[in-house]
Amino acid sequence: MKMHKFLLMALIVLFLPLMSLAAETGSAIKADVIRAEPYADAKKTGDFKRGEKLQILDKKGAWLKVKTAKTGGWVRLLSVKRGAGGSGNQLAGVLDVASGRAGTGKVVATTGIRGLNEEELKNAKYNEAEVKKLESYTQTSQQGNQFAKSGGLKAVKFNYLPESQQGGEK
Amino acid sequence: MKVIYFILIVSLSFLMPQAYALDLGDTLKDVIKSNVSGKTGNDSKEVSSPDAAKNEKRINFRNPSMDEEIQIGREITGNLLGAAPLVNDAALQKYVNQVGRWVANQSERGNLPWHFGVIESEDINAFAAPGGYVVITKGLYRKLENEAQLAGVLAHEIAHVTKSHHLKILQKSQLLDLGADLLGKQLGKNNQIIQKVIGSGAEICARSLDKNAEFEADRMGVTLTARAGYEPYGLPEVLQTIGQTNKNDNSVALLFKTHPHPDDRLLKLDEAIGNRLDAIKDGKTLSNRFYKLKN
Repeated sequence: MKMHKFLLMALIVLFLPLMSLAAETGSAIKADVIRAEPYADAKKTGDFKRGEKLQILDKKGAWLKVKTAKTGGWVRLLSVKRGAGGSGNQLAGVLDVASGRAGTGKVVATTGIRGLNEEELKNAKYNEAEVKKLESYTQTSQQGNQFAKSGGLKAVKFNYLPESQQGGEK
Repeated sequence: MKVIYFILIVSLSFLMPQAYALDLGDTLKDVIKSNVSGKTGNDSKEVSSPDAAKNEKRINFRNPSMDEEIQIGREITGNLLGAAPLVNDAALQKYVNQVGRWVANQSERGNLPWHFGVIESEDINAFAAPGGYVVITKGLYRKLENEAQLAGVLAHEIAHVTKSHHLKILQKSQLLDLGADLLGKQLGKNNQIIQKVIGSGAEICARSLDKNAEFEADRMGVTLTARAGYEPYGLPEVLQTIGQTNKNDNSVALLFKTHPHPDDRLLKLDEAIGNRLDAIKDGKTLSNRFYKLKN
């Protein structure tokens, strides 16, 4: 019996990090309503406050399926900030090491890896050969349309978004 | 000569608070110097063009023609490419031009010869220059998951071009008008004048736009993405991804310095969007044809 308990504990300890990684964490950037389905007129299942932590389980168009401490459901994508909140996520450190950025505060001189800071921009020297190369890839308007067609993209009529909107869904 | 000095002093005192914007004071000094030493602009390829009359034409910065705007943008882009060259992958470059061209076709400036490129830098950033030049870093491309997100990023930059945001920065400096007039009389070549006006290297790419210009480009970016038939949330998704990057990470240092924080941009977008995009249901992400980087 004791042995079983020990094994169970060991398993939990081993898999806990994986379990917490399975769902992406996020936080609410504003108070909003949680709904049963990913539609504006779907039934309300709860709400959350600004800054509240939540788990992101799924994504469908403009909607995210989330789980809060109390409830779960669908919420507008723009109400949620991905990541652990605060100053970036814990993965950043790992990624930094992987990309050779760690430690030095400067980009490590690995082939192909370079930054683009103000100093580098200021000291940049005009490169005609690269501009010509850039221009050599230019597509015409018709080629653009053809490319869209091959992907099944169709132009949609849609007015420019105004600065902010009053009298929306709320 | 005295007249020029007088103009110089008057213009400098008048524009002191804006000295940061464009260092045309030095430019004017250069002009005077070259005048004194009897040199008026020296030779370069452009000037030896057979059409001498063409060289007489001066760039009108206040209200540039399309060709002039392209010349200015080309010069800025050339400097930027001097800092970081294109990624050596023709298929990648063609792909971003295809996506970018289609999105640009949805803007009111489909007549520009749009050029798009991915540059060799692990920074996360994107740049636009007048006349339809748009460049994104490999570091930013790496963060993208599908074609709709690429379209969203390019659409934000396309909006900067269609709204002449960078051109307006150049024009805002009254010194520029004055300087360009003066320079026009002294120097022979447009590209030299442009180089003087845009400042040192590609530093204009490190300059911040007004934050309302960024919010505007975000709103237009989402609109253009939607018009192009993509899932309109491509740009907000990228902003969410970038927002996760630790702000102390060097790769976002310049982006965060020159742009409002992604969280603020998302909030502004949310205000503008509300339920306006609800009607757009069959936007595509096209993740299947999204070009994967080779390294």
